[in-house]
Amino acid sequence: MRSLGLSALSLALTAVVIGNAFYQKKQFYPSVVYITKSNPSMAVIYIQFFVIVLMLGKLLRKIFLGTLRPAEFEHLMERFWYALTETCLAFTVFRDDFNPRFVALFTVLLFLKSFHWLAEERVDYMERSPVIGWLFHVRVASLLSVLGLLDYLMIVHAYESVALKGPTVQLVFGFEYAILITMVANTTVKYVLHAAELRADSPWENKAVFLLYTELVIGLIRVILYVLFVIIMAKIYALPMFVFRPMFFTMRNFKKALNDVIMSRRAIRNMNTLYPDATPEELAMSDNICIICREDMVSNSKKLPCGHIFHTTCLRSWFQRQQTCPTCRLNILRTPTNVTSSPPPPRPEGVNAPNINPNAGIQVPLPGFNMNNNNNNNNINIGQENPFTNLFAQNFGQAQAGATGANAGGNGTAGQVPPHVPPFVLPPFPFMAPYAIPPPPMPPNLNTLTDEELRALEGNERRHVEERLKLLQNVQLLLDAANSLMNQYSLVTARLPPIPAAATSSTVVPPSTAVSGAASTSSSTPTANSVSPEPSTSQAAFDPAAAKSATPKKDIITPVKSAQIDTNKPQSTLPEIEKDVRIEDLGSEEHADTVKHSQHNSTPTPSTSRQTSEVDPDDTELSEIRRRRLQKFQQQNDSVKTTTNE
Amino acid sequence: MAGSALRRLMAEYRQLTLNPPEGIVAGPISEDNFFEWEALIAGPEGTCFEGGVFPAKLVFPPDYPLSPPKMKFTCEMFHPNIFADGRVCISILHAPGDDPMGYELSAERWSPVQSVEKILLSVVSMLAEPNDESGANVDAAIMWRDNREEFNKIARRIVRKTLGLPS
Repeated sequence: MRSLGLSALSLALTAVVIGNAFYQKKQFYPSVVYITKSNPSMAVIYIQFFVIVLMLGKLLRKIFLGTLRPAEFEHLMERFWYALTETCLAFTVFRDDFNPRFVALFTVLLFLKSFHWLAEERVDYMERSPVIGWLFHVRVASLLSVLGLLDYLMIVHAYESVALKGPTVQLVFGFEYAILITMVANTTVKYVLHAAELRADSPWENKAVFLLYTELVIGLIRVILYVLFVIIMAKIYALPMFVFRPMFFTMRNFKKALNDVIMSRRAIRNMNTLYPDATPEELAMSDNICIICREDMVSNSKKLPCGHIFHTTCLRSWFQRQQTCPTCRLNILRTPTNVTSSPPPPRPEGVNAPNINPNAGIQVPLPGFNMNNNNNNNNINIGQENPFTNLFAQNFGQAQAGATGANAGGNGTAGQVPPHVPPFVLPPFPFMAPYAIPPPPMPPNLNTLTDEELRALEGNERRHVEERLKLLQNVQLLLDAANSLMNQYSLVTARLPPIPAAATSSTVVPPSTAVSGAASTSSSTPTANSVSPEPSTSQAAFDPAAAKSATPKKDIITPVKSAQIDTNKPQSTLPEIEKDVRIEDLGSEEHADTVKHSQHNSTPTPSTSRQTSEVDPDDTELSEIRRRRLQKFQQQNDSVKTTTNE
Repeated sequence: MAGSALRRLMAEYRQLTLNPPEGIVAGPISEDNFFEWEALIAGPEGTCFEGGVFPAKLVFPPDYPLSPPKMKFTCEMFHPNIFADGRVCISILHAPGDDPMGYELSAERWSPVQSVEKILLSVVSMLAEPNDESGANVDAAIMWRDNREEFNKIARRIVRKTLGLPS
């Protein structure tokens, strides 16, 4: 109402001025000269000009935007005043060029800027409005295209002017319109994304990510533009104070966008690697509603370590801000999800072991390391000590040499169990050995792994792979232990009566089959095959894995280092007995197993009895444990609900 | 499909109209804009605010429910946890990052699990039991602690005022 009165007043004033001029001069040209010569008349004309611009603005607003919401108007006024201040600052830099044309250009710039802001607000409002009609789409689309076109024309104009006349004030306009055109681009992308989501029946999950990257790219372009502009202006004119405020905000926004993108990526990575998808059973058990968006969870939901289930997208946007569980505020980054799946194998104590085979088994990743280095050394050592030991070591070493020598360059880490025999503890009768061998460490039962342990095996990151390798190494360990046990057995049987050697020599199998047996043994343990292609490279290949597996077993490593195999023993000295031994050894995996079990039962050490009692009931009680865990989750959920309700 | 904030607000509105909690009415001021709500809160029984009906306005951010809404009483209020201009100062309305008063546990802060209903219930309990350690209105906090009678008198006057009765 007031603006209407003011425009009427301005119109009346203009009419009076023009009428007065005509009244005095009677003719068109003299009256124009009179008006331009008289300062009060020109002031009135200028005011009229601004009123006309305002009215044009209102008209365009009516066409393109309809009525403004109060918030939109508020924001517009706020930004308008800032822009006006900056324009006044710009005038001080270009005070030499100050003329009506210059003022008019700035007015047009402000005018267009206002529409850019309004378009941006409108598009932001799209997401929040329950009803978007076709009129809205027509208006926004046409407004954006008109603004983009005008910006483009202005940039071209400014460019031509600068190219023609050298740097003038057009430089500023070209730059300002370049910034505005990035704004149009940003708004257009947002509009397209919002419109696409509006058309879809289900929430579009990646929209937030697209928006983030749009912000980032546009922010980067703007920052570059501002920096360039400041440099150019500082070189030609003076430091452009009037762009410092928008430049500061642009840089802050860019930093925020960058931060958002980083956080979002981290959240996505965490969710993809650390947290499992919720299974349908788990969804059915909870109330099936994502508490962040209050909508049903059908698919694409994740379970946090604390057991709470949310939509993947909801979690992602929340994790961008905070790394806690929304329900119980468990800090998900500090929660260890990488629990070691295999406890260090029990070390039986008090068993006067003549043969520390478990160590040899644990040392599995290492043979490439030192088996060639210390071989001769150890052989000499043993040889000096005891004839029995010597024989023992020789036999054993040759057995190994036979198996590994044929097996592509003596790598066979799976089949080899270096018999590190400390001479001073060796009992007089080697056949005692099987009864004193400590039980090999059991790999964990896969059915009884906890969620964390299972999670640690999931994913493709380094530590998951290492976790898997560790498990495989445990399996390999078990096989090695069984193998060595069989070797011991065969040694004993070979030693006891001298006759069976000749009797069984008729059943000697050609070495090729024996080798294939060994190969199959080792192929059942993929770790060994994959990590030790050649003795020369095996050291390097093994280093990280060895270091990793060694960490919980530091005390065992030292004896391991001195473990050896006599691979250099010539094949020709292989006695017939050896072949016999190998046949039995390689052909009876199951036998080894049963032997081991029987030994478990017969050995009265506390550790073994605990192990067996651990392994067996777990299988039968599996479902019971699972049920209990689910109950626990439910209770947790309930308790959280009640506390939050309070 | 509309934006997620809008859908969540619609869901909450539906929930609040289907199962309204006692002493609380809330809903969008206009159906065109779901991001500004009006709420009416009845003063809890057995307190100095008993019988009063206090109007308040809730303004939701575009990224709701990741950020908390702002709540402001539109009537005169005299309470230790309500600023003189009506803004409500309770921990549930503060995002975990900022801590204006420096004493709030992050467990009491805003999280997407909270809702309009929980906010309003917290405000009701805040009316019943002011927290005089948070100094949104220091005068009210001091008076509540040292001169309860005077405080009750002012509260009763405000109650009568909200009901349109002469004080």
